[in-house]
Amino acid sequence: MNLNINLKAENTYDAIVVGSGISGGWAAKELTEKGLKVLMLERGMNIEHIKDYDGAMKNPWDVKHAGRLTEEMKRTHPVQKRDYPYNEVTEKWWVNDLECPYTEVKRFDWYRGFHVGGKSLMWGRQSYRFGDVNFEENSKDGYGNDWPIRYKDLAPWYDYTEKFAGISGQNEGLEGILPDGQFLPPMDLNIVEKSVKESIKQKWGNERLLTIGRVANLTVPHNGRGNCQYRNLCSRGCPFGAYFSTQSSTLPAAVETGNLTLRPYSIVNHIIYDKDTKKAKGVAVIDALTNKTMEFYAKIVFVNGSTLGTTFILLNSTSDEHPNGLGNGSGQLGHNLMDHHFRCGANGEFEGFEKFYTYGRRANGFYIPRFRNVGSDKRDYLRGFGYQGSASRQNWQSDVAELAFGADFKQKMTTPGPWKMGMGGFGEMLPYYENRAYIDHSKKDKWGQSVLAIDCEYKENEKKMRQDMMNDAAEMLEAAGAKNIKTYDNDCYPGMAIHEMGTARMGKDPKTSVLNEWNQMHEVKNVFVTDGACMPSIGCQNPSLTFMALTARAADFAVKELKKGNL
Amino acid sequence: MDRRSALRNVAILLGTAISAGTTDILFSSYTLPESEKNAVNFSAEQLKALTEIADVIIPTTKSSPGAKAAGVGKFIPMMVRDCYPAKQQQSFYNGLAAFEARAKKTYKKSFALIPLVERKKMLTTLRQETLDQKTNKIPEKADLTYFFTVVRDLTSLGYFASEIGCTQAREYLMIPGRYDGAYPLKPGQKSWAT
Repeated sequence: MNLNINLKAENTYDAIVVGSGISGGWAAKELTEKGLKVLMLERGMNIEHIKDYDGAMKNPWDVKHAGRLTEEMKRTHPVQKRDYPYNEVTEKWWVNDLECPYTEVKRFDWYRGFHVGGKSLMWGRQSYRFGDVNFEENSKDGYGNDWPIRYKDLAPWYDYTEKFAGISGQNEGLEGILPDGQFLPPMDLNIVEKSVKESIKQKWGNERLLTIGRVANLTVPHNGRGNCQYRNLCSRGCPFGAYFSTQSSTLPAAVETGNLTLRPYSIVNHIIYDKDTKKAKGVAVIDALTNKTMEFYAKIVFVNGSTLGTTFILLNSTSDEHPNGLGNGSGQLGHNLMDHHFRCGANGEFEGFEKFYTYGRRANGFYIPRFRNVGSDKRDYLRGFGYQGSASRQNWQSDVAELAFGADFKQKMTTPGPWKMGMGGFGEMLPYYENRAYIDHSKKDKWGQSVLAIDCEYKENEKKMRQDMMNDAAEMLEAAGAKNIKTYDNDCYPGMAIHEMGTARMGKDPKTSVLNEWNQMHEVKNVFVTDGACMPSIGCQNPSLTFMALTARAADFAVKELKKGNL
Repeated sequence: MDRRSALRNVAILLGTAISAGTTDILFSSYTLPESEKNAVNFSAEQLKALTEIADVIIPTTKSSPGAKAAGVGKFIPMMVRDCYPAKQQQSFYNGLAAFEARAKKTYKKSFALIPLVERKKMLTTLRQETLDQKTNKIPEKADLTYFFTVVRDLTSLGYFASEIGCTQAREYLMIPGRYDGAYPLKPGQKSWAT
């Protein structure tokens, strides 16, 4: 190979960040702010803040198919079409499944957004800290390996990331289960939610609690960004910058340092290992537009390609020294894949609030923190679940006779009807070694790369938990006086919660884990993984805030080590 | 530098600029399934019939104009051609043709040209047949009843997504700016469009 020395210098940075989503954006911000020259690689297109939010200001009548998927969309997105996030307005932000196939050994819904900002543009924005219960449970019940850190290690980094990102919420004093944070003023519960909150308090005292969701939407202007306008169109991109995304928050901060280079359309195929230094020397990239390959070099590499994207890159980074994937001496890389299980709960109708309606569209709901298997509670399954939901006033569609039409039908569809509340559980899944992703060389993507095969399923513990997820919801609705209570289990497959995690877990022991307590590879010290792949367990909380805190903490450590000459 | 202009100045490297040891990767070929778009074409007479059917399903009332004024007559055929597999497009088309044939047989005229009271009567009959079809499952009525289910669904979808549906039949706030979870219901309050 002809190596041009000048070109090599041009392609060399202090740090490379692979991926530009929630954790990649944070890595770029932290590393550039600490003075490192950073190259952030993103496999998809660029999306410029505000300017490229094509759908953000569309009215319902500007959306050609009224939100339905066309046959063409279904054809090119056979996986993405399985659930609601893939829609007409943000179509371009979801991966073309035909170009980027994978193998489903068992059904696994893999939602992917390949563009600058990644899923930070379309995420649900619910932001909860993990508590000590979550950090300790693996060691207590023996599933998975022990977290190498505890809540106290991460708490200051939660403070730090919340303050910058802007999380609105209510402190409730639930240390251990759902720690308080540095919140902007909370959004309001509506009148029915307040009533249910009160009923739950009366019946369960301190054991169960309904609180407003903690959400990365600004309730007041923050760091030069505008506050939420209550449009509830967040996933189209916010023209007010009112929710946390790479574009609204971490990217401008990184750019402001003058230390960031962002390269879209750069698919990282593998990390280049240097057997002499026993470190990574850079990454090999395929240009997504031209199919040319190229190399970039750096002293440290942060891998933030999303849990499974990162896993692919690491597994695909083989060498004589790392024949089973980079830093995979433990054999754990790709294993212990987890996702939350949900789509299961109850709903009911409320009377007595007919004089009230809502104004504005709150991009948030309520949260009921975990109450099972904590304190003195003991169930016939391990771990627990939290609830998310909301109350809202429907039209009279429930009163419309089947297939009815005409003036009466129209009247019912345009008049405020009954108040309804739904609450759905988000349950923890245990880490199982056999739930895994591995490289399938029999299939290639558009760029000739092998693909991932995913072999993952929920097991008995999750199934048992779902009974409680339905029954406890119904019980709380009943205590609050709801009518027509119905439980539901709409079936759930791994991947659907888009909270996939666990395939390059942290741990104290290099024999049983991929990363140490600093998200640093045990075996390749200048490689850090701070996306969902690092998680030894997943709690029942939405995880992105934890990725942010872990990333900021790891970046701080990495720069200190670099300055000490250890990397 | 403020954040927005900082963002505009972001250094973005594109394309061919840099490559140390460039090699091409073979473009592996993959085949795409056939597109199923636009499997059927509607005649002018059929388009008129669809418009009038929609306007019976959601008529003009005191509160607001109906489906015809809201443009649902164009929305339905566009949706059928874009959003349904070829087989279902054909079934819808056959059902509409059968329905038109029924109008012509009974009234010697296209559905669009018969009096409103007769249009309502025809659709009331078709609704009942569609309900009955669930248990009867008469093969000859499969297309006709499928047609009714879809045309009613698309009328409702298209109308309540239309500007008239959102801003006149319902009330629409593009940028509410705040949230009130105990907003007093006004007399004659319409549902929010979104």
